[in-house]
Amino acid sequence: MEDLIIQARDISKTYSTGSLTVNALRGVDLSVRRGEMVAIMGPSGCGKTTLLNCLSGLDEIDSGRVLIDGVELHNLPDDERSDYRARRMGFVFQLYNLLPVLSAVENVEMPLLLSGVGSGEARARALEMLDSVGLSERSSHLPGELSGGQRQRVTIARALVNRPAIVWADEPTGDLDSETANEIIDLMCGLNRDNGQSFVVVTHALDVGQRANRIVTMRDGLIADAGAASGLAGSGEQTAGV
Amino acid sequence: MDNLFGVSMDLIMAVLLAAFLAAIAVVGWLALRNRVMVRLGLRNIPRRRGQTILIVIGVMLSTVIIAAALGTGDTLGVSIRNEAIRSLGAIDEIVLPARAGAGDSFGSVPYVHVGRFRELQERVADLDTIDGMTPSIAETVPALNNRSSVSEGRLNVVGVDAPTLDGFAGFTSATGEAVSIRNLSDGEAFINDRAADALDAAPGDELTLFLGGDATASFRVAAVVERNGLAGRDPTLLVALERAQRLFDRPEQVNLISVSNRGGVMDGAELSGEVARELRAALSDREAAAALRELLRQQAVIDALAAAEPDLTGDLRDNAAELREELQEADVTDMLVRLLNRQSVEDHVLDVLESEGLAEEHEAASALFSDLLPYRVIQIKRNILETADEAGSFVTTIFLNMGLFTVMVGVLLIFLIFVMLAAARRSEMGMARAVGARRVHLVQMFVFEGTAYALASAAVGVLIGLAVSALMVGIMNRIFSAFDEDALFRLTPQFALRTMVVSYCLGMLITLATVAVSAYRVSRLNIVTAVRGLPNPPVLSDTGWRAVLLAPWRALLRPFRYGWRALASAARLRLLAALAYLARAAWAVVMLPVAVWVTIAQVIWRFLMQGWLAVLLGALLAWYGATAWERAAAFTAGVSLVVIGLALMLRSVLARAGLRPDLRDRIAFTFAGVVVLAFWLLPPSTIESVVGELAGGFDLLFVSGICMVTAAVWTVMYNADLLLRALTWLTSPIGKLRPVLVTAVAYPMSAKLRTGLTLAMFALVFFTLMFISVLTETFSTQFTDPEVVTGGWHVEGIIGASTPVANMRDSLVYHGLPPDDLRAVGGYTVSSVQAREPGSEWDSVRMRGADDGFLDASAYEFHLIAEGYGSTTAEVMQALRDDPSLVVLGGNLVRTRPDAQDGFRPEFIEGVFYADESMQPLTLELWQRLSERTTTVTVIGVVAREHEDSFTMLASKKLLDDLFPFAIPVTRYRFAVADGVDAERIAYRLEGAFLEHGMETTVLADELELESASARAIFRLFVGFVALGLVVGIAALGVVSTRAVVERRQQIGVLRAIGYRRGMIQLSLLLESSFISLLGIAIGGTLGVILGYQAFVEIRDEEAAGNLRFVVPWLQIGSIFVLAYVFSLLATWLPARQAARTYPAEALRYE
Repeated sequence: MEDLIIQARDISKTYSTGSLTVNALRGVDLSVRRGEMVAIMGPSGCGKTTLLNCLSGLDEIDSGRVLIDGVELHNLPDDERSDYRARRMGFVFQLYNLLPVLSAVENVEMPLLLSGVGSGEARARALEMLDSVGLSERSSHLPGELSGGQRQRVTIARALVNRPAIVWADEPTGDLDSETANEIIDLMCGLNRDNGQSFVVVTHALDVGQRANRIVTMRDGLIADAGAASGLAGSGEQTAGV
Repeated sequence: MDNLFGVSMDLIMAVLLAAFLAAIAVVGWLALRNRVMVRLGLRNIPRRRGQTILIVIGVMLSTVIIAAALGTGDTLGVSIRNEAIRSLGAIDEIVLPARAGAGDSFGSVPYVHVGRFRELQERVADLDTIDGMTPSIAETVPALNNRSSVSEGRLNVVGVDAPTLDGFAGFTSATGEAVSIRNLSDGEAFINDRAADALDAAPGDELTLFLGGDATASFRVAAVVERNGLAGRDPTLLVALERAQRLFDRPEQVNLISVSNRGGVMDGAELSGEVARELRAALSDREAAAALRELLRQQAVIDALAAAEPDLTGDLRDNAAELREELQEADVTDMLVRLLNRQSVEDHVLDVLESEGLAEEHEAASALFSDLLPYRVIQIKRNILETADEAGSFVTTIFLNMGLFTVMVGVLLIFLIFVMLAAARRSEMGMARAVGARRVHLVQMFVFEGTAYALASAAVGVLIGLAVSALMVGIMNRIFSAFDEDALFRLTPQFALRTMVVSYCLGMLITLATVAVSAYRVSRLNIVTAVRGLPNPPVLSDTGWRAVLLAPWRALLRPFRYGWRALASAARLRLLAALAYLARAAWAVVMLPVAVWVTIAQVIWRFLMQGWLAVLLGALLAWYGATAWERAAAFTAGVSLVVIGLALMLRSVLARAGLRPDLRDRIAFTFAGVVVLAFWLLPPSTIESVVGELAGGFDLLFVSGICMVTAAVWTVMYNADLLLRALTWLTSPIGKLRPVLVTAVAYPMSAKLRTGLTLAMFALVFFTLMFISVLTETFSTQFTDPEVVTGGWHVEGIIGASTPVANMRDSLVYHGLPPDDLRAVGGYTVSSVQAREPGSEWDSVRMRGADDGFLDASAYEFHLIAEGYGSTTAEVMQALRDDPSLVVLGGNLVRTRPDAQDGFRPEFIEGVFYADESMQPLTLELWQRLSERTTTVTVIGVVAREHEDSFTMLASKKLLDDLFPFAIPVTRYRFAVADGVDAERIAYRLEGAFLEHGMETTVLADELELESASARAIFRLFVGFVALGLVVGIAALGVVSTRAVVERRQQIGVLRAIGYRRGMIQLSLLLESSFISLLGIAIGGTLGVILGYQAFVEIRDEEAAGNLRFVVPWLQIGSIFVLAYVFSLLATWLPARQAARTYPAEALRYE
């Protein structure tokens, strides 16, 4: 039996904005293996971010079932779901979404503090994590004092600092130039390879998708192509095609 | 209320209305010229209704305070006026004989033959300013209602002259029918409604009047009439004049003349000055006038008067010239008598005689002036109306001063609101600038929006302010009712249209001015960073010196430019264009002063920011404050400004040294904060040792609050990271609380301006609250122990002067009061005398002439005892008993020090001061008006100020007997009850026993407690009024929290994504507002207590009040603290709840 960390079955999600109703997800099935790096691609408005939000428990689903590491996230009370995210998940967003009033190291240590790690240990692990993304010298800087690439590295460090089972990334390179984007995707692939964490990456960028183990293509709220599994992303093999 | 701060309210209203209309005209004109910006400005108002409501609440607070203060003043003034009019009716002046004659007695007005009235009537018969004049008799006696057995110790008996009642309203019965005094039989009388209440009497009841000794008289109540005018305000019985003359054995005599002026009950008082002058002239003693004329006609006196004339101004100069002319006339003219009766002329003549060394003439003239008018003409209605206006103005001034901080805090809130609105719209403002909008357009956009808020909120503010005023009036009524069981005087909310106009205009103008300043500030944005949503670069000023300095010249040229264009257009026959250019030229002329002032303000601001100008201005202010003005507020504000200037200079130096902006700001503002705080925390004595004693007042409180709070807020805000570290360290063991605390502190500290402003609002309000609470509580401790205050007496019994008790001790035995129940019995009588140190001015002072029993048993502590008169109370009291030419002074009859600013104490005593270590016997001269006797007495001690009657002199009653033309009865008895005896029971028994003497008793401890409770209630009213400012602080937190939720929506999504629970989001926002409110409360509270302590020490030393204790009313402050904190949490709770409910994905989607 495959070691699946994410199992989504027939999930649907509808948004209503005034008189307009949008069927963002229309019965999506998706499975992700432990340690796999999956890229979700598709045209704008096809439901990629909605799928990521629904899978990660950031948003409610209308119907269907999502199992994360065997836990049915949507059946958990909100507080337990929050705790689960704090312990088992990491998030990377396109606009970095760091807390502007906290320094880099304070941003990174935040998930650890939320998981109940002691302040001393949290600070040490956050610094270690920043070091691993090459930002140890910028640890006391506020996000406003960092470049876009540096901010995204901090975001990645924050996502990985509590060694989550899954990292969710929504357009992690969308706001970066190509050189920085490559650096970031190299970093993510390296961490995926070294730590064996699962990555679900929503992206428009084909070069980012090609670095994943598998590309899932979406269109109009449905999975158009679930892609074929390949070796680990860190290996550099790109088996999934679009 | 016709005046405020000495300025006519009509003038204040006219100026404010003009300024308001001008402001509206300018805004309206700008709106017509730029409708796009009007739409942009106004469309924001309905977009967020909750926020709009919060803004209106915040913006209106200044108006609320102003309207409440003015409304309360109005109410007090109008209520007193109405009561005066109701009580006096048509009576405008009263005339009383000033000299006692044979048969006159203490406690009643001297009598004159009714023929004097007839003479007066004839003399003023031609005057059309008088429409009525009636003689009467007024006496006070005890009375008993035989049916109900209810007694009244002070029933006024008035004999009314029915034939001369023209011009006065008649009497109206309780059933509304007109009743006439002519119809009363010998045994009948009217009583007014107050007498009916006091005696539980009704028509048909028989009343017994006790006339002294065994004499009594009975009257049947014919009707109960409404109290008004001649029917009196206090319990009064009315009979015909002739009946009253027989009753008091005063045939053909009267002791009161009432005068009614032409016009109604209100406008008649306007003629009062003129009528009083005519009455004085008509009543003057022609022989005294002739003697005075002879004295002043001497060449030396005429020369002296002529020499002094050029230095005079106004009416007095004309009067002095007229006096010289009239003195040349062959006989005493009416004009001369009128002139001699003017107080200003008398003072001038006496001054001239004294300054020219004409001592004999001065002495003689003094005596003759005193003989000139053997009557007192009292402008009774006008005096009360003036008192009403002064009371209204006083109350308004007090409340306005108390509300200054709230108005200031309201201004800060308006500024904060517009800074935050600008922050929320920064991106769209950047876009507007990018597509061509000028900076002035952004200013206009905010001014249009602000004007809409100001117009609406000022209107709401006036209404709520008047409601607050009505609430305060209700509380005042409750306080007054403790003293006035019959509810005779009640404040009825009265608000003049003028008050509403002034409040509205002032509130609206304050708001508009603040909005204009805020708009100017927020318009200075960097377009690129605004569009991209990045922080503003540190240096925003892109207006160079050249542009600033050229601006007025450009503005000066603008009218000519448009004028030229108008001419050119006219020449081409383009008349419409010419008219348009002419209008623009006219507008440019109007705006020219604005351009000049803006340039001046910009130049001054730039120099101020460089620091050196602040140092210079501060030094000048401090110098003038310490020397010319002698005002502590100016001096301390100057020194604070110098420190701030130095800090700004330090910042410039650090900038040149290449220090990071945040670090140099931290160093400079920490320096300013710490040094200013240290300066303000210096004991006042230290500052006085350098610059001498300076005058204080509300201005000092205001300046101290602003300076100390600003300094503390700077110090905290620029060192918040230390606070954050401390908090982080402290909370590190508390698991999940720590991340919440980290964000709760980090967010407010990252927005220094808004946090600092909100912090300052809370701190300012709590500063004032704490200061006022501490001081009022501290002062209320001074008079708490009744044993000390009363000198050991427990019950007071007051009796009528016409029904004295021959021997109190014998009477007590006679009435069966057990001798063992009373430890001591004493009595005294209070009367006014004139007093002076030899050679100085006379001043009126109250004197207690006490019997031996009172002097023996009064346990007053003496603050000073003159050398040679022993060292104990017993020794001094024995000396008073033995020698009727000795007196002691109440502690408040002497000033504390020669240079002390205690204006409420009389200044005629220069030979002894309260703070003196010792005193020598001091000689005083006393003069009594009724007898015209003068006597010399020796002051041998000063009673400690904590005792009752501290503004009176105390002497043996024998001294009063000598001073007055008749024997003085004891009218106030004191009883000290034995241990374990109930004072209330004794008081009750005494009233019953001495009913025929009209004794009314008071348990002194209850009376003191009542006074103390009322004083506390008034102080609490002040505290409550100041606490209104907390509404501003709470509204500010609501605005800040609402904005925080909107601004941080995405970040809240991230926090939720990485594991923040809903409750943690909510808790974080609540902690954030708690952090601000608690820190503000702590800063304000601490500084308020410290300043309160300093004020306590200062006053204790200044007043030599060693018994004053420093007290902090923890319960009262704690209650306010809890309320303020709970409401601030509530203001944050709603937006926090909304934030916590948002799904993370939804929050993340938000842009």
